[in-house]
Amino acid sequence: MMKALREAAAKLLQEKRAVLVIGYADRKGRPAVFVSKPEDCGRLVYDSSCRQNLAAYLGKPELRARLPVAVVAPPAVLRSLVVLTAESQIPAGQVLALAVDHDAFLGVFDAAGAAELLRSKFPDLGPEKALLERVAELSKKSAAERAAFWAEEFAKCTRCYACRAACPGCYCSRCIVEKNAPQWVSTAALGHGNYTWNVMRAFHQSGRCTLCGACEAACPQGLPLMVLNAVLDREALAEFDARPGYDPEGKPVIGSWSAEDDHSYMR
Amino acid sequence: MKTETSAVPAATAFEPRITAFVCNWCTYAGADLAGTSRLQYAPNMRIIKLPCTGRIDPLFVLKAFEDGADAVLVSGCHPGDCHYTSGNYHARRRWTLFRKLLALTGIGDDRLFFSWVSAAEGQKFADLVNDVTAKVRQAGPFRAANPGRRA
Repeated sequence: MMKALREAAAKLLQEKRAVLVIGYADRKGRPAVFVSKPEDCGRLVYDSSCRQNLAAYLGKPELRARLPVAVVAPPAVLRSLVVLTAESQIPAGQVLALAVDHDAFLGVFDAAGAAELLRSKFPDLGPEKALLERVAELSKKSAAERAAFWAEEFAKCTRCYACRAACPGCYCSRCIVEKNAPQWVSTAALGHGNYTWNVMRAFHQSGRCTLCGACEAACPQGLPLMVLNAVLDREALAEFDARPGYDPEGKPVIGSWSAEDDHSYMR
Repeated sequence: MKTETSAVPAATAFEPRITAFVCNWCTYAGADLAGTSRLQYAPNMRIIKLPCTGRIDPLFVLKAFEDGADAVLVSGCHPGDCHYTSGNYHARRRWTLFRKLLALTGIGDDRLFFSWVSAAEGQKFADLVNDVTAKVRQAGPFRAANPGRRA
């Protein structure tokens, strides 16, 4: 599998279909590696310890100056590439996916091909069972207990914004948390700013999150960020049939509407 | 002038502070109608008028809670009646997801209210404010239970 991945990457570079391959490095922690020479493709690996979502680099201006690129992409990252395409964040034909899954190399795909692959081979990617159990467990608690739980969790946040940096969906050049005239979100690592930041970060991913888990993996304080993402994913699916990352021409959930949307909670 | 005879509430009595984000064209006009119709309603609501419910960023709601609101009401034009055609439809999608997210963090239906009130529904507005105020009064002060309270 590793051999097939490396050969395919080297071929893309040789044929100039990509000037850069973003992959996982054969080092502890599986950090990102940027390969631009075919002979360096031996540095690429993929296994279950690869937690980063490499599509996050596609929003960087430095990288946008070096297109076309290829990205090593397990299924969740493939979804991110499709979401970014749907949101017009990827110039057409400039990003290729080196699709991988567990111990298989699946081939080279553009966004449309990646969506096709996802629909045929991974039609039901959603929150993992363990994650849904975490949501269910928290939902069973009273409102006061839930508030106390999050107050305690968010108190650990140091506002390093690693969650934001790790997320391909967080590509705004100017984030709400950096707006300071007026300042909407306090940047002090205290209760109120931490709550607002973490809730708004999750909310801005509603209907767009591909549940790759990169934010939670990147959090140095171990905040259960995926619980927030999972509840939004569940509701967006239930209410609006949102399946982000399966249609490169799909409309975003927030930003489109239907007259038939439920509003039974409205008085 | 009539002399005030009703008992003044004790200084310790809880008076809910409720922030209302309303649109200019329907709910604000409805509140105006309630006023010009001389309808009496609870004085606990602080109204913030915006051009459209579509302008109400969920961040506003969090800011209100952070700054000490015991509850938040969001209200705008009935579906189909938006002055800008679709602002309330866009807003509705946001609220549908946002309220679930807030509920998971402990801010539930007793703190966050949504309604449609048209410019002709002065009575509905007055009843709504009374009803929301009564519910929040029952729920009690929010500060201690607020997961995003000021440190």
